[in-house]
Amino acid sequence: MRRILSSVTDGRGFDILLVSITMIFLLALSGMPLVYNVVMSFQEVDMFNLNTFSRPYAGLENYREVVSQPEFGLILKNTAFFVFGSIAGQFVLGFALAMFFMMRFPFAATIRGVFLVSWVMPGLVVGALWGWILAGDFGVLNAILKGIGVIDSTMFWKSDPRLSIWAVTIANIWLGLAFNMMLLSVGLAAIPRDLYEAAELDGANGWHRFTTMTLPMMRSTIGAVLALGLIYTLQQFDLFPAITEGGPANSSNVAQYWAWQYSFLLFDFAKGATVSVMMLGFVLIASIVYVWSTRHEVRG
Amino acid sequence: MTPQIEIASVDKHYGAYHALKDINLTIPRGAFTALVGPSGCGKSTLLRSIAGLESITSGNLRIAGTEMSGVPPRKRDVAMVFQSYALYPHMNVLGNLTYSLRFKGFNKEQARKKADEVAQVIGLTELLERYPRELSGGQRQRVAMGRAIICEPKAFLFDEPLSNLDAALRVHMRMEIRALHDRLGATSVYVTHDQVEAMTMADHVVVMRAGVIEQQGAPLELYDNPANKFVAGFIGSPAMNFLDATVAEDGRSARLEIAGKPVLPLARTLQPGREVTVGLRPEHLRIDTAAPRLQVPVRVVESTGSLTYSTTETEPELMIVEQGRGRYRAGETLPLTIAPEDIHLFDPTSGTAL
Repeated sequence: MRRILSSVTDGRGFDILLVSITMIFLLALSGMPLVYNVVMSFQEVDMFNLNTFSRPYAGLENYREVVSQPEFGLILKNTAFFVFGSIAGQFVLGFALAMFFMMRFPFAATIRGVFLVSWVMPGLVVGALWGWILAGDFGVLNAILKGIGVIDSTMFWKSDPRLSIWAVTIANIWLGLAFNMMLLSVGLAAIPRDLYEAAELDGANGWHRFTTMTLPMMRSTIGAVLALGLIYTLQQFDLFPAITEGGPANSSNVAQYWAWQYSFLLFDFAKGATVSVMMLGFVLIASIVYVWSTRHEVRG
Repeated sequence: MTPQIEIASVDKHYGAYHALKDINLTIPRGAFTALVGPSGCGKSTLLRSIAGLESITSGNLRIAGTEMSGVPPRKRDVAMVFQSYALYPHMNVLGNLTYSLRFKGFNKEQARKKADEVAQVIGLTELLERYPRELSGGQRQRVAMGRAIICEPKAFLFDEPLSNLDAALRVHMRMEIRALHDRLGATSVYVTHDQVEAMTMADHVVVMRAGVIEQQGAPLELYDNPANKFVAGFIGSPAMNFLDATVAEDGRSARLEIAGKPVLPLARTLQPGREVTVGLRPEHLRIDTAAPRLQVPVRVVESTGSLTYSTTETEPELMIVEQGRGRYRAGETLPLTIAPEDIHLFDPTSGTAL
C-alpha cells in the first residue's frame, strides 16, 4: 500500500498521472473537435444529418466547390494580405519599440507596461474602437491625416473596397503590437550587455551591432514571435464583425471569417469545415516553425 | 619613457555618487599597470572610462597623445578582456577572433591568416572551429585574449580576467598574460581585487579606495613604504597587524596597548607620549627565545607544511608567519621579536604613515 502511495506522490506514477490529465484534456477538447472537423470536410452535411456522425462520404467535392467559388481568389489574397501585413507591421513596430524601451530613460518600464493595455483588451472592443477611429466622416484618423495635409478628401476606410482590408489590418497591427514588443523585449534583455561593449571596442557601430549581435542572438525569439504572430493572426476573428463584417463585397473578407460565415450564417457546415481544414495546413506549418525555433532556448 | 595613457584630474559622477575623485595617472608605453582595490573602489570604472564605455564628468584622458573624451570606444583603438570574456556565442573561435578585422578592411583571406598567427601565439590552432560553449574556462580566456591582441591595439585593458578560473589555472594564466605582454611589447592596464595578482604581474601598482588613488608605485615600493594604513593593510598576505601604541619617554621606543604593555624599539625618534598605530607584518615577527621583545599566548596554529600561521590570544589578535613547521602549539607562549626598521608607524586618526 505504501509502495503504491509513494509511487503516486514522488515516483513515476505521479508523473504519469499529471501527463495523462493534460493528454485527456487535450484529446477531448482539442483533438476530437479537430478530427471531427476534418472528417466533416469530407462529408455531405445538411440540417437533417447534423446530429449523426455517419453521413454520406463526399470525397473532395467540398474542396472542389470551395475552390471554385468566385470569391475564393479574393479571400485568399485578402487573407495573405491580412496575415503578412499584420505580422510585418506588428514585428517591425514591435521590434522598434522593444529596442526603444531598452534604453534607460525614466519610467521606461512603466510606459512599456502601459502598452500592454492594447493586448489585454477584448478584440471586439478594439474593433469598435478602431471602427470609430476609421469612420469616414467623423473619424479621428481622417481628421489627423487631413490636418497634416496627407489627404485632401475623406477616406472611407471601412466602405471603400480598396481600403477595407487596410482597416482591419491596421487595427490588428495595433492589437498585436504590444505582444510582439513584450516577447522581443524579453529576448533583448537576455543578451548580455558586455557583448555589445566587446563589439563596440572591436569597432562595430550601431548598425553592425544590430546586425551581427542583436539579430543572431535573437534568432530563436524572432522565430517564435513570427510563428506566434501567424497563428494569432489566422485566429483573429473579432475585428471583422466589429469593423467591416468582411465587406464591402468580400473586399475585407478572410478565410477565418469566411469559414464562420459558411457554418453559422449559411449553415453549410461542410464548407465551413473545409475552409478551416485548409487553414489548419498553414497553422501547422507555423507551429512546426515555432517548435523548431524554440527547441534550443539555452544560450551558449 | 613615452606616456601611452595620460589621465589628468579625472572626475566621474553617477548622479550624486562621486565614483572617481581627481584621478591623476600616467601609464608609460610598454608598462603593465595594475589597478587594485576592494570592490566599489572605482577601479573598474576607471578602466571602463579609459575604454570609453563610461564617460568621464571632467578632466583629461589621452591615449597615445590624443585627447579621448567624447571619442566613442570603437575609435579609441583599445582592446578589453572582460571578466565574463564576453565571447560572441553565435560565432566560432575563428569568428570571434576575426570580428574586429571586418571593420578594419581586412578581406577573408587576410583575416584568416592573421587569426592563424594569433591562434599560434595563444595556442588555439586546434580550436578555431569550436563554439564558445564547447570550450573550457581556460580556453575561453585564451580566445578573449586572442580577440584583444589580433587588432594590435594601443592598449590592453583587463577587467578581472582571471576571477572565473580555478586557483591553479589562475596562477598559470597570470604568468601567461605577463609573458604575452612582454612578447608583444604592449601597454596593459589590469584591474583586479587580488593584491597578489597585482603584485606579481605589474610593474606599477595603483591602489584605489572609494574613488581615490591611495598610492601608486612599484609593487615592492608599496610593500616596503606604504603611504597609509589602508595600503599597508591591503598589500601583503596575510595582512599587516595593527596595534595601538604610545611613544615611550625616550622617544625611541613604543609601548604596545596589549596585555603586558611590551615595548618595541623604533628606528627613529618621535615625540614622547604621542599616540601611534604600529604596523607589524606577520612575516617580520620572528620567534626569538634568546631576547624576546614580546611574549604572547597562541590561540590557533595552522600549518601548510612550508609555512606556519599562528594567531595570538591578544586583543587585537596578531598573526605571525614562520617558515617551516611551528615549534609552538596552541596555548603556549610565543617569544617574539621584530627588527626596528620593519616597524611601520601611522597616525592613529589620519592613517598616514609617519
